[in-house]
Amino acid sequence: MEPGEAAIADAAEVPSGEPDLESEERTDDDADLGAGGSFQETGSRSRWRLSRQALLTLALGLLITAAFSIAALELYNHNETRLLRLRARELSLVLRTAVPTLQTPLASGAELANATGGSPQKFRAFMDPLVGPRRQFTSVSLWPAEGRLFAPRVVVGAQPTLATLPAEARRLFAQARQSGQLVLTGLLPGPTPKLGYAFAVPSAHGGYVVYAENPLPASKRSKIAEGTGFEDLDYALYLGRSRRRSDLLVGNISHFPITGRQASTVVPFGRGAFTLVVTPARSLGGTFFENLPWLIAIVGVLVSMTAAALTERIIRRRADAERLAVVLDRVASENRQMYTQQRGIAQTLQHALLPEALPEIPGLSISASYVPAAAGIDVGGDWYDIVPCGGDSALLLIGDVSGHGLRAATTMASLRHAALAYAAVDPSPSSVLSKLSNFVNSSAPDYFATMLCMRLDVAEHRVSVASAGHLPPLLLADDQARLLEFEPDVAIGVTRDWQYHETEVSIPPRATLVAYTDGLVERRGESLDAGLERLCRVASAGPQRLEELVAGLARDLPAEEHDDDTAIVGIQWRT
Amino acid sequence: MANVSRPAELRVQTLEEGPGVTVLNVAGELDVSNAQNLESAVAAACEAHPAELLFDLRELRFMDSAGIAVLLGASRRVPSVRLRDPSAAVRRVLEMTGLAQVLPFAE
Repeated sequence: MEPGEAAIADAAEVPSGEPDLESEERTDDDADLGAGGSFQETGSRSRWRLSRQALLTLALGLLITAAFSIAALELYNHNETRLLRLRARELSLVLRTAVPTLQTPLASGAELANATGGSPQKFRAFMDPLVGPRRQFTSVSLWPAEGRLFAPRVVVGAQPTLATLPAEARRLFAQARQSGQLVLTGLLPGPTPKLGYAFAVPSAHGGYVVYAENPLPASKRSKIAEGTGFEDLDYALYLGRSRRRSDLLVGNISHFPITGRQASTVVPFGRGAFTLVVTPARSLGGTFFENLPWLIAIVGVLVSMTAAALTERIIRRRADAERLAVVLDRVASENRQMYTQQRGIAQTLQHALLPEALPEIPGLSISASYVPAAAGIDVGGDWYDIVPCGGDSALLLIGDVSGHGLRAATTMASLRHAALAYAAVDPSPSSVLSKLSNFVNSSAPDYFATMLCMRLDVAEHRVSVASAGHLPPLLLADDQARLLEFEPDVAIGVTRDWQYHETEVSIPPRATLVAYTDGLVERRGESLDAGLERLCRVASAGPQRLEELVAGLARDLPAEEHDDDTAIVGIQWRT
Repeated sequence: MANVSRPAELRVQTLEEGPGVTVLNVAGELDVSNAQNLESAVAAACEAHPAELLFDLRELRFMDSAGIAVLLGASRRVPSVRLRDPSAAVRRVLEMTGLAQVLPFAE
């Protein structure tokens, strides 16, 4: 019994552990779920430690995210650079348009001077509106193109710084005369740096050069004005084709050397040129595209983490399910074991209720067999008894309590003992059944029992049979098998106070009577008559010896998957 | 594992037929594997306390002692239980168990 108890105790633990498997708040207590040590390892797994698959998912997700982010960043950078180049070119075009606005008044002044023979009045009158604070030039002067002394003939506005730099003036004017274009000075020294422009119109008698000067902002810093469409750029404008600090004219870039994204372009300016360097003041393509790589990174990381969490969850679920399956498997096998044990107990009980040994009745051979149901722990309520009744007579009782299980078995036990008691008082079959019908009806209302009661007069070869709804016994004589024919009364327990009747039958010499319960002839889906015919056929072809006959019937007749018990009692007249 | 044999096919239909008369239409095969189903149907029908329970057995091909037990159980709970149109095989079972004498046929 001890293994059985252990199994029950084990199985009882399982339901209490089961809900834990479903819950999210799983802890190391899971290990207690199974008593087996094999669960300890998996049960002690930390809830934050990810499985390999989840880690792989996370890594893959992050990798893809990184790839997309970098691609977006590359695309953004490429786009920004391209836009910056375009903007630089646009700005340079705008700067180029400044050349005519400077050149035209100077050229006109030079023509005027040539035409008027260098008239100071005419020149001054022409230039006056253009010169002064907040006007186009701070200083405009008219110089003879040739001569040993380079000095301005007429000065409008401030004194030109160039007047103090004769070498520079000579070089500049020679250049202006040769090129016929606007020429630029270098950065002119002074309290405020200045830039000068000169234009000469060649003529027969040497002609004149018109020279203008403009100061640069003292700090050389000037923002691009609002509304020009170039507010998104920082710039630096250098004189000439250099990017030396000393050549810086103006700009709003404060840190040199210029780093980061930049574009430079050379702007031709009359005879000379400027170099324009621009950097973006803000994202040229828009903030959305600027932030896109980060957006992708953040969303990607979130998605990767979610995917990893989901993977982990699925994997844990599966592991839980597998563990549960193992537990259920074990419970099932324990149940099987318990079931087999219980079945064994039930069968032991059943056999305990049957007669241990059949009595010796002079002149009769007796053999009995009990076939338990092929499956199911329920014991049936089949029983039989043979009781000597003095002289050479005996009483054969066989019965079948409806239903299965312990109630059927205990009802059978009480019926059996009651029948024996009634038989002791009056061994007449009808009397025994009549009394029993009241007994069962009062004691076990939900059960009924079929029962056959036969009084055997051995010497006289005669039986008196009374049936409470029981199947008729088989009579086997001279290799002929037939069922005894009589009208059965109702089963015991159906109704009270039923008067059972007896039928007398003569028994041929050496004949055999076989009484049985319905398990021997009933098969599912088959009529009762077919089962009874099969019994007759098998019995008539069976062996002569009673024991072999009964054993053969018990072996061959119950359906293969019979779920009913079967009792068989055979008696054979020796003479 | 438990019951090796699969349950036989059984159909039970409960109908009201006139005042106080409940008809249980039992079809198929009735044996120990499924008698419980008929018993449940009888228990359900008994809740309305019918005066008569009529088992229509026209389409019942087979019945064993477990089925008889259900019929007898019903006869204890309801004042009148009658059987209608049992097939020859079922009628034979009823006769052999003496039940024809206590469970009258409804013609």
